[in-house]
Amino acid sequence: MTRWTADRPFLAVLALLLATAAALPLLAGTPLEMSRYLANAIGQLAAFAVLALSLDLIWGYLGILSLGHGLFFALGGYVVAMYLLKHSFEVTGTVPDFLQFMGWKDFPFYWAGFGAFPYALAVAVVLTTLVAGLFGYVSFRSRVGGVYFAIITQALVYVAMLLMFRNDTGFGGNNGMTGFSVMFGWPMGTSGMITGLAVASLLVLALVLAGCRWLVGSRFGALMLATRDDETRLRTLGYETLRLKLAVWCLSALIAMVAGMLYVPQVGIINPRLLSPELSLEIAVWVAIGGRGHLVGAVVGALLVNAIKFWLSFAAPEVWPFILSGLIVLVVLVFPNGLIDLARLRLVRPMGPRRLAADVGEARP
Amino acid sequence: MTLWRLPLLIAGLLIAAPACAAGAEPAARAALVEKLCGNAGQMGEAAAALSTLAASGTPEEIGWAAPLARAALDKTLACDDTGAVLAATGTDAVTRAPRAPAPDARTPVLSLKNRAVFEQADAALALRSAADPATRTAALATLERRPAALPEGLLEAAAQGETDPGLRTRIETLAQTAALNAADPAARIRAIGRIAEHPSRRALTQVEALAKDPAYAADPAFRQAVDAGLATIRRGIALGDALATLYNGLSFASILFMAAIGLAIIFGLMGVINLAQGELIMIGAYVTWLVQQGLRQAAPALLDWYLVLAIPVAFLVTAGIGIALEALLLRHLYRRPLMSLLATWAVSLFLVNTVRVVFGTQNLQFETPFYVSGGVPVIGDFIFTWNRMFAILFAAVTLLVTWATVRKTPLGLNIRAVTQNRDMAACIGIPTRRVDMMAFGLGSGLAGLAGLALSPIYSVNPQMGQNFIIDSFMVVVLGGVGTIAGTVVAALGIGQINVLIEPLWGAVAAKVIVLLMIIAFLQWRPEGLFAVKGRRK
Amino acid sequence: MSLTALLVDGLTVRFGSFHAIDDLSLAIDYGEVRAVIGPNGAGKTTLLDVISGITRPKQGRVLFDGREDITGRSEAAIARAGIRRKFQKPSVFEGLTVRQHIAIGAGTGFRRGPEGPALEDRIGEVLETVGLADQAGRLAGELGHGQKQWLEIGMVLASDPRVLMLDEPVAGLTDEETARTAALVRALNRPDRAIVVVEHDMDFVERIADKVTVLHEGRTLFEGPMDKVRADAGVVDVYLGR
Repeated sequence: MTRWTADRPFLAVLALLLATAAALPLLAGTPLEMSRYLANAIGQLAAFAVLALSLDLIWGYLGILSLGHGLFFALGGYVVAMYLLKHSFEVTGTVPDFLQFMGWKDFPFYWAGFGAFPYALAVAVVLTTLVAGLFGYVSFRSRVGGVYFAIITQALVYVAMLLMFRNDTGFGGNNGMTGFSVMFGWPMGTSGMITGLAVASLLVLALVLAGCRWLVGSRFGALMLATRDDETRLRTLGYETLRLKLAVWCLSALIAMVAGMLYVPQVGIINPRLLSPELSLEIAVWVAIGGRGHLVGAVVGALLVNAIKFWLSFAAPEVWPFILSGLIVLVVLVFPNGLIDLARLRLVRPMGPRRLAADVGEARP
Repeated sequence: MTLWRLPLLIAGLLIAAPACAAGAEPAARAALVEKLCGNAGQMGEAAAALSTLAASGTPEEIGWAAPLARAALDKTLACDDTGAVLAATGTDAVTRAPRAPAPDARTPVLSLKNRAVFEQADAALALRSAADPATRTAALATLERRPAALPEGLLEAAAQGETDPGLRTRIETLAQTAALNAADPAARIRAIGRIAEHPSRRALTQVEALAKDPAYAADPAFRQAVDAGLATIRRGIALGDALATLYNGLSFASILFMAAIGLAIIFGLMGVINLAQGELIMIGAYVTWLVQQGLRQAAPALLDWYLVLAIPVAFLVTAGIGIALEALLLRHLYRRPLMSLLATWAVSLFLVNTVRVVFGTQNLQFETPFYVSGGVPVIGDFIFTWNRMFAILFAAVTLLVTWATVRKTPLGLNIRAVTQNRDMAACIGIPTRRVDMMAFGLGSGLAGLAGLALSPIYSVNPQMGQNFIIDSFMVVVLGGVGTIAGTVVAALGIGQINVLIEPLWGAVAAKVIVLLMIIAFLQWRPEGLFAVKGRRK
Repeated sequence: MSLTALLVDGLTVRFGSFHAIDDLSLAIDYGEVRAVIGPNGAGKTTLLDVISGITRPKQGRVLFDGREDITGRSEAAIARAGIRRKFQKPSVFEGLTVRQHIAIGAGTGFRRGPEGPALEDRIGEVLETVGLADQAGRLAGELGHGQKQWLEIGMVLASDPRVLMLDEPVAGLTDEETARTAALVRALNRPDRAIVVVEHDMDFVERIADKVTVLHEGRTLFEGPMDKVRADAGVVDVYLGR
């Protein structure tokens, strides 16, 4: 791994993120001011990029593909939605739609305290760590990996979706939760709030990117790659890979959770469709398109794919699934390392056949 | 009616009843007609006599009696000194010889009470004599209003002569109710015994109602009969429910098995989980529908056989898609199982959305051929339905054919060889890539057959694949890689557990519990139920 | 310190109905280079799998250093106790550099091993020993087959193990590479270290081994010096014979 000071793509993307974060508020009031829609879209894209990073950390660097990362994303989303609804209720007295729909007079007891953001955050962190830790422990302990792990995580997110579709759970059921009006005491939907959330998302993305870059460049990162390449070999060198995998898995789940907490206030609604197996699979596609095992690739992949999706959702929504399946086929057949391959066609070849870490195969069969 | 005439009336009834039973005699017939023209009390007796005739008379007597009841109700009976005339046909009420009524003839008027009795008599006679089933059905509906007052033996006789099976069932049910409410305690106890022989929820309601009957508290023999009958019925219902659960579980397991066996073979062989398997099931169902539509156009006479005729078509189309998928995509992703996973998802996306664009998102309408409609009631409320039996039999045949293919054919031998040791198989000249392709075709074709088999049971739409794919994954994980036996056992287990838990805590809880059980199971046997142990690489 | 580095006692391993190892007992002393030979399926690699904790035996136990029962411990715990093993198929981390391999090998789990200059010294020393000093910065995925074999030996060597197990260290190597490897193995021989080598190449075994154990169908067929092995009728029959 090159030193981070010499990692030019990383530095370039980091600089771009920080510059955008700075430009959003600075351009406000000038003729160059971005539309609310654009600022909001940038914020959502940044949240997706954080989500992509969380998956790349375990898939690209640990060789564990999760097809259920939507679970942690939605967990963060649901908790922040609970905070927003409870907080809005405390400030404006608006009773959430889903309570009225169910004919309930009051919030269920487990909503107590969610009006305070620190409490909500703590619940999200504890819950995510607990769910990820427990599931990771039993899976990694019995050495479930590869395709098995992928489909079991997919079953996990599917089951969670079915659970949340029930209306009697007290989390909005089928219709989900919406109607967030106040955040941190400020009204939502204003230009200021939209810009603020977008800037926060960009800053968190930059922070997570830098943090992951530091981690994978460390001695611990080398052990992650070693686990990916040959786990038995690493174990027989004296390393309990269970602990290592569990730690990275939980960290990844927490990052996905943070992404969900950033995403939901910006999109203004959460419902169980966030837990559909399709979304979780899509995350893997962003990473694969960007370049698995490259943090910058994951960020660029998520931004690019979702930008196309945003645009198509206006222009021709029915075409999107076909474009997506075409992109997947293209990336698995022609550019196995995603955009990295494309970039290398021009940039790296003149310097000679330098192989990158991610060129090597997946975990051994 | 004054009180002192009551004994007389009873005596008259006692005399009249045998006279009417032997209603062939002209004198008895005349007496009956005379009563019809008499006062309210006599008319009531006449109606009772008509009812008794309906229960125990010969067809000739019934034929004679039927117009009388009708005429009394329709006010077309003209009474005069010599008897009565049926105005509708212009015949004498007793002899049925044509004659005109006397000028001073009067029409008897029915009291409110008698009207009900005559309606019942009329219905009883119509039930036994009317040629038109619709008339009989209407008559039965009238009788069902007051089952307790029916003459004994009427319904049994009517059921025996009834040609329409649906109507007969209704008559029998009514007979039970009537017998349960009969005046004779012994008849009631016998009726309870007869009902208990065919337990169902309706029988339970019928007998449970008797616990509120005054006789239940008063008559110990009756109470005993009711309690014993209830116990028998409850046992029967419990047994029926258990069988129904097992049966539903078995049919769900059959579908799961067919969906999963292809997955398991492919996974064992290539280490690839085909995320498009659910969509291949969907395609199989759509092909079945297309075959049905084609037959409707080209050969309507064969329409009923579309499920059978679609078998080769569904298999070949999905197998073709599978082979194309393997040759165009997966072949190039050799030993990259996770990328293969994404590639098959791309195919699944493509198939769902193509079908959505071409056919729309609504559920397809399927004909129900005679061999998958209805069923045989077994015990309690368990009905052995043919549509589920079709799926079960289909899966059994699929199992046999798959087993024979894997165990007895050269392709099967090659599949097993490559599954066990790909490199070694390649060394001894087995064309591993060709085997991959054929096996993928086989696995995909089996998914198509699953789609065919489930089309008479589940709704068919572009999204249906999702409902089966996750459960199929679980079957593969539980069963172990590439073993037929493991797939069968796992499908049966997951199918039954789903069906068992569902009525208790709901479908979602069933899925949650199944997933948790599988994760727990993997702690104990990470390679699945039937994995062959070997040296770890 | 006991004289016996590894004591295998009544070991039985079954895969289904197949007895991979059948009531096997053997003792390996410190200071010796022991070759384990035998035809395919004799149970050689399975023996190493049991010792390194990858496979659980059905019966029997393995004692390290004469007293420490390591049967049933995790692979990592056994490795940290000082037993290291090179796999039959070269097992290296393709995405890591040669230097990173040695650094990982030198560590003892997540508890830090040598650090800073001490670690650098150790890496340099090991790379020198296995002859990869000039490849330190390269990714393992780019190395040739022989270099991968040496890299793996270097990796298991880096922690200075008491028991070193090498599964087919010269499979697929050229004659020159084989000779270098033989010299390397002899050089690694120390009074406080036991070396177990599983190999098919008889000339190589003859060059390195102090003592030979011949396995056949999961049992010991013969144990003794190499020259006696070649003379043993039973061994000739099942293994060398024609």
